[in-house]
Amino acid sequence: MITIIDYNSGNRGSLTNTLDKLKIKYEVTSDPEKIAIASKVVLPGVGRAAQAMKELRKRNLIDVIRDLKVPFLGICIGLQVLADFSEEDDTICLSIISGKVKKFSSEMGLKIPQIGWNQVKFAENAKKDPLFQDIPDGSYFYFVNSYFFDASKEDIRAVTPYGVEFPSVIKKDNFYATQFHLEKSGEIGLKLLNNFLNL
Amino acid sequence: MKIIPAIDILGGKCVRLFRGDYGQVKKYADDPIEVAKKFENDGAEFLHVIDLDGAKDGESVNQDLILQIANSVNIPIEVGGGIRNLQTVKTYLEGGVNRVLLGTKAVEDPDFLSNLIEEFGPERIVVCIDVKEEKVAIKGWRDITKISYLDFARKLKTLGVTEVLCTDVLKDGTLTVPNFEMYEQLYEFGFNVIAAGGVSTTDSIKKLNAIGLRGAVIGKAIYEGNLSIKDATEATKTISGLAKRIIPCLDVKNGRVVKGVNFKGLKDVGDPVELGKKYSDEGADELTFLDITASKEDRETTYEMVRQVARNVFIPFTVGGGIKTVEDVRKLLECGADKVSIGSAAVINPDLVREASEEFGSQCIVVSVDAKKVQGTYKIFIKGGSEETDLEAVDFCKKVEELGAGEILLNAMDNDGVREGFNIELLKMVTEAVKISVIASGGAGCLEHFLEPLKEDCADAVLAASVFHSGEIQIQQLKKYLEDNSITIRT
Repeated sequence: MITIIDYNSGNRGSLTNTLDKLKIKYEVTSDPEKIAIASKVVLPGVGRAAQAMKELRKRNLIDVIRDLKVPFLGICIGLQVLADFSEEDDTICLSIISGKVKKFSSEMGLKIPQIGWNQVKFAENAKKDPLFQDIPDGSYFYFVNSYFFDASKEDIRAVTPYGVEFPSVIKKDNFYATQFHLEKSGEIGLKLLNNFLNL
Repeated sequence: MKIIPAIDILGGKCVRLFRGDYGQVKKYADDPIEVAKKFENDGAEFLHVIDLDGAKDGESVNQDLILQIANSVNIPIEVGGGIRNLQTVKTYLEGGVNRVLLGTKAVEDPDFLSNLIEEFGPERIVVCIDVKEEKVAIKGWRDITKISYLDFARKLKTLGVTEVLCTDVLKDGTLTVPNFEMYEQLYEFGFNVIAAGGVSTTDSIKKLNAIGLRGAVIGKAIYEGNLSIKDATEATKTISGLAKRIIPCLDVKNGRVVKGVNFKGLKDVGDPVELGKKYSDEGADELTFLDITASKEDRETTYEMVRQVARNVFIPFTVGGGIKTVEDVRKLLECGADKVSIGSAAVINPDLVREASEEFGSQCIVVSVDAKKVQGTYKIFIKGGSEETDLEAVDFCKKVEELGAGEILLNAMDNDGVREGFNIELLKMVTEAVKISVIASGGAGCLEHFLEPLKEDCADAVLAASVFHSGEIQIQQLKKYLEDNSITIRT
């Protein structure tokens, strides 16, 4: 059983469709009590950091998320809100993983938002992580983002080249997060999600 | 980020100082004009020329020589040192110099500075923020004021300054590392920042580039042979692993995928979910469903189709056709579409693009543009290409970018159905004008056609319908072909 945090985040549907496909049971809820006792938690999301934080606050979910001890997976905005701070609308975030969310620089000739399939290269500390079991190094995942989480080296599990080598998978303690949309990344995305569910 | 080699002139010769100390001079060449030409030859895109005598004396000393440099090379140059009155600024800017650098005068006379910005435009007036131990240095760096550089930067912002060139005096000429933190702070003020002082390795250049700086001035490292202009420029090149996308397009009518010529003689080619899954399994990077259902009453069939696709296809997909309101967009996204493609409605009611992107984010708003050359100009057409507008294609693309579109699906009507290749001319015009992704559409007939816009780097994705539906080209075959031709493809 997996608990998906419902906070009006837009793309919940594609995640539940994916779980249906994998025949995984899930519950979609914004009830802090249910989330606090969940065995696995996913925080999906598209949209803006400020909006996401506002919706989480409104539902009294800030401390509940911070206090989670079970495997947690943040996706896209669900990754970015784990930071201390986001440059997007100068948003104070959850401070679960230290670092700041920054915008890609268009000075580098990049298209913003980044839209499309980009390479995910594992960091040395990720090689034995069960999350990446049977996922080849350098696999392509689907990204849609204008901002990235400039995390500390010890929390980075994979990077992706887009102007800079930005962190695309982050992990600290029980908190995992991917900048890409694994629910839109075809077979390889399903595999990664499955690995998370088997943690 | 531009690499800007420095030419510092003292007594008519090309020299370098150590930390701005006029007592520690090293001469590198007798003729600064030759040095400028050499830098141009080596690939420099911009030159930074400083009149050291001028900076010291408070008036232009080497002006004639500098104007000769400006007129001996074909790249833009910026000039600083002793520029403290309107006449000097005029002489330089009217004599072939592109930008002037103001240091001392900008600190001492804010009115003078704002008048210059008014008269010549902010992009031609660059303010030097010369910093020594957090304070602003003036008069050839010999006087240190009590003004902190951050306070000075704040003030410049209010005066309308957009371009700053910032030097950490203690780093200059030392071949160490630049003061990254200082540049980051100035960048965050919203200035176009050029870094100077201590830029001596490609690693430093990469870091400055990542901050988002406009340029980096390099002096001693080039003269001493530690760094070449070529390597420095190479270090500023964008790294990206983003793959080019292959997008099959499915025309859907009343819940079925159809195929036909100009919407006439439509033939049923299958179920959207089945075909979508097939293409997804074969390695398509994305799918586009174009709803050509005629009547509004049949929209419910479309929504059901979108729901079914969303439940069965785990790659991104876009739905277009007949979207007129924010509610239409909402409904499609709720049914599971990842993006929507807005066509005629973006022309008739451009506010829709703005409203929809504000509401749902740019990442899910694609604007589909039909363009055709009319008397030498690409014009926008609407209503399935049946109605010409007076809008020019490039202008329109820029406009929808401003309104918040995340991507442009560019259909070249002249090429559509002709199967002679994508319209490279049009694609180039649009990709050069906008900073968002451009999807090429119209004209694909064989493998080589797909390669062309990708190789020319004038498309982020290529879209086609009939060559895929007919089975003439398999997705995997196309991907292998593109990969063999050095295009980054998701494998």
